[in-house]
Amino acid sequence: MSLDLLDLYNRLEKEGIVFCFCGSASQSVVEGIGATLWQRMELQGTQMSIIGRVFPVFVEQMQNIVSHSADRIVSKDESGEELRSGIVIVGYAYGHFFVQCGNFIENADVELLESKLQDLRKMDRKELNALYREERRKAQDLGKTKGAGLGLIEMARKASEPLEFTITPVDEHRSFFSMSTII
Amino acid sequence: MDNLVVEATKSSPYISFDAGKGLLEIKGKSYPENAAKFYSPVFDWLNEYLDTVTDQAIQVNLEIIYFNSSSSKVFLNLFDMLDRAVKNGKKITIDWRYHTENDTARECGEEFMEELEAVKFNLVEIHEE
Repeated sequence: MSLDLLDLYNRLEKEGIVFCFCGSASQSVVEGIGATLWQRMELQGTQMSIIGRVFPVFVEQMQNIVSHSADRIVSKDESGEELRSGIVIVGYAYGHFFVQCGNFIENADVELLESKLQDLRKMDRKELNALYREERRKAQDLGKTKGAGLGLIEMARKASEPLEFTITPVDEHRSFFSMSTII
Repeated sequence: MDNLVVEATKSSPYISFDAGKGLLEIKGKSYPENAAKFYSPVFDWLNEYLDTVTDQAIQVNLEIIYFNSSSSKVFLNLFDMLDRAVKNGKKITIDWRYHTENDTARECGEEFMEELEAVKFNLVEIHEE
């Protein structure tokens, strides 16, 4: 039953994976891995302009899981405390960093997410910047402080290639969403 | 009026608002889990301060290395508030400070600048050593 960890380690290393997190995510995990990721990139002499693109994508993907993953454990008492799960990978291959994330989503949310991402894929950097400003202003006028819309645009404009994603139906309630961002 | 001082954490910046000096500073990274909630005491303080201040010049220094998308909404809200205050006769200057090599921080400053009408918003480059 036991997983061959040496084999897993070697495979991750071969794929250029720098970090791999799978399980219950929380703000502490985002901060802990985030600080270490920043430190690692600095130690390796990564240019600030690259750190400034990798880090935002990592944070948005992690915080998406923390707030929106459909795979969650909810406290049985009144506190409403909950933990949501997902997977996030940071790697480096062919001269580029990449950040990948995966988590379950409700089937009811598939259509909207898919159309948002398809729209973002068609836009160039200039259009994405304009959309970011427009959505941020709109959120202001509506007094909206939550929601993943601005985070998706932020990832798209920090990436060097269009966001790649797949949504795989799992059962009548849930699908698995995975996305890859190349910096 | 009491000063507001909040120490930095891994995901939130150092905040120091000094009513006597009219000096408001925010410095560090900003990606708290709930940005609106985190910054709510800052807005409370600022609302009260702007109500009491008359002709004191207010200097706002921001040195944000990184902020997430929800902090971005909060900062725009903050700048809008300062922009309105200037339209109502307050004297406010915002310095958006960024390190030379942090072009993301510079671009973010430029983006905020374009949103504002009245408040003086300077992009200030910090040179290493």
